[in-house]
Amino acid sequence: MGTRYRSILANSWSLLTFLLVVFITFTSATSSKSASSTGDSVVVILDPAKKADYSIFLEELQAKGYTVTIRAPKDEKPLLIEDGVPNFSHVVFLASETKSFSKDINPQTLVELLSSGTNLVLTLGLKQNLLTSLAPEFSLLLPPPTTPLVSFFPERPEPPSVIPISVDTTSTPNDSFSVLSSDVGGSIWFSGTAFALSSNPLLFPILHAPAESFVGDLSDASGLVSDALADAAEKGGEGLWAGSSLAVVAGFQTLVGGGTGHGTDAGSGLEQQARVAWVGGASLFSDEFAKKQIVEKVHQERGMKVVGNASGNKQAALDITGWAFQERGVLRIDDVSHHKLNESGAVEMYTTNDEIVYTVHISSYNPSTRKWEPSSGLKDLQVDFTMLDPYVRTALLPVRGKPGAYSTTFRAPDQHGVFKFVINYKRKGFTHLHHTMTVPVVPPRHDGYPRFLSAAWPYYAGAISTSIGFLLFCTLYLAGEAKEEKKTKKE
Amino acid sequence: MARKTSAASTDPAPRNDAISALFRAYSSNTSDRLKFIDAFLVFLILSGVIQFAYCVLVTNFPFNAFLAGFSSNVGQFVLTASLRSQVNPENKTEFKEVSPERAFADFVLGSIVLHFFVYNFLG
Repeated sequence: MGTRYRSILANSWSLLTFLLVVFITFTSATSSKSASSTGDSVVVILDPAKKADYSIFLEELQAKGYTVTIRAPKDEKPLLIEDGVPNFSHVVFLASETKSFSKDINPQTLVELLSSGTNLVLTLGLKQNLLTSLAPEFSLLLPPPTTPLVSFFPERPEPPSVIPISVDTTSTPNDSFSVLSSDVGGSIWFSGTAFALSSNPLLFPILHAPAESFVGDLSDASGLVSDALADAAEKGGEGLWAGSSLAVVAGFQTLVGGGTGHGTDAGSGLEQQARVAWVGGASLFSDEFAKKQIVEKVHQERGMKVVGNASGNKQAALDITGWAFQERGVLRIDDVSHHKLNESGAVEMYTTNDEIVYTVHISSYNPSTRKWEPSSGLKDLQVDFTMLDPYVRTALLPVRGKPGAYSTTFRAPDQHGVFKFVINYKRKGFTHLHHTMTVPVVPPRHDGYPRFLSAAWPYYAGAISTSIGFLLFCTLYLAGEAKEEKKTKKE
Repeated sequence: MARKTSAASTDPAPRNDAISALFRAYSSNTSDRLKFIDAFLVFLILSGVIQFAYCVLVTNFPFNAFLAGFSSNVGQFVLTASLRSQVNPENKTEFKEVSPERAFADFVLGSIVLHFFVYNFLG
C-alpha cells in the first residue's frame, strides 16, 4: 500500500513538472520576444562590480523583452562566437575603461560578429584599449588618449568635462527618420571623448558635440586647457578636436549581404545587415546621468529663474540601443513584380519600347507591435533599368490605397539585351535595400513591326498610280477595239 | 520602230529639222492604238524616274516599298512594250501564231500577276 501510494505521488509529481515546463516554454515563446527585429539575446560586457551603475539601462532593456547576460571583461565564458556561430544577437560594450580583456574579445571577433549580423553598441573610454584601434576601421578619428571633451558653457557647478548636450536642433540622420526620437526632450548629460568622422558613406553622426566644446587634457591643472587652445591656435587649429562637427554618438550600418533575402533573386543568404553604435562615453548609459537633472536658467520678466528638468539620458540610451538593435529604421522588400502596361500577368521577356509597370512592396518593422507593417513613407525610392549602365532611372512613388506598394511605369529603352531592375536604396539610418531582377529585352519579331508606314507614301502612290494606269489603259484599249470592230462592220 | 530610225538617218537636214521630221513621221505613220500604248509607256517611264529620283535624293527608307513601286513601273513597262510589239501590224510575220487578242490576254494576265507581287511586297 505504501509503495503504491508513493508511485502515484511520483507520477503526479512528474506530470506536474511536465505541465510546468510546457507552461514555461509556452509563455517564454510568446512573451519573451523582444522589440528587436533580429533577436532577443544581449550580452553586456561589463565589470560586475559596476553593474549597479547601469541598473536603469539594464532594467529597461529587460523590460523591452531582451534577455541580458552580463559578462565580465576577463571572463572566459560565455564566448561571443562559438563554433563559428555568434552566441548573442546583440553585444553592448560598456567596459570602456578596461584595458585587458579575455582572449576572445578582440577587434577581429567584433568584426566577425558584424559580418555574421550581430549588432554592436561600443563605448569608447579615455584610456587606450582594443576599441581605440578598432575605431579607425570605421572611419572615426579619435583624439589622443586621456583627453576628454570639455566645455565651459553653459555656466554650471559640474566640472567642464561633464557637459549637457542639447538635442533639440539636431535631426539625424535624415529628415524622415531620427535615431533620437522626440521623446528625448531637452538635453543629455555626456562625459567622455568625442571623435571626428571621415567621409565614410556608411557612417553618420547621431549626436553632435556642442559648438563651444573641444577636446583637451584636464588631468594636471585647469590652466593647461587654455594652453592647449593657444598652442592649437598658433598652429592654425591643427590637431585640435573642437566644435559641433565632432560627434559623441555615431551610427554605422554594414553592407554585408547586399540583399534582404526576399524576392526571387535577392542574392546570397547573408541577408543580415549589422549595425554599430559608437558612443564617446559609457556614462551616457549610467544611472547617475539618467537621474541627474539638467539645470537651466530661464529668462523671465523679473530676472532669471532656475529650472531643473529631467535629463534625456534614459530615453537617449534606449533610442541609441534601439536603433543599433534594429528596432527602428528597419526596412525590407517583401515582393517585387513587373508586367506590361494594360496586361496583368508576368512576362518572361519584354520587347523594346514596351511600357513596363514595376511595383515593389516594402515593409518596416514596428517595435511596439513587434510586427512587420507595410510602409509607404519612403519619398526618394527609385528603380534603375540597367544593362551595365542605367538606361532608365525613375522615381518609385507610393501607390494610393495600397499600403507599402511603390510603383512606376516607364518605357523600355530602344535597345535589346539582358537588363536588370535594380533597387539600391542606401539611406543613413535605414536598412539598406538592394534588389536586382534580371529580365531580357528582345527586338520585335519579324511580324511585330507596323506594316504600312506614312514615310512610304511616295512609293505607295507610285504603285497605285501604275495599277490605276493599267486599269485605265485596259478599258480604253478595249473601248478602242470595240470602235474598230464597228468601223469594220460598217464597211 | 525600225522605220522611224531609217527615216531619221536618211534625212540630211540639220538637227532641229531631224527631230521635227522624226516627230512628223511618227505621227503620220503610227496607228492610234500604238500611239496610245506609247503614251502609257511614257507615263510609266516618268513615274519610274520620279520614284528613282526621290529614292536617291530624299530617302530610300522603306526600301521594300521603293523596290515594289519602282519594279511595278519597270515590269508594267516590259509587259506593255511586249504587247506593243505583238500588236504592231508590221511584226505580223514574227508573231504568226499570236493574235492581237491573245497578246492582250497575255498582257492582262501578266499584269495581274505582277500587281499581286507588287502589293505583297509593298508593305
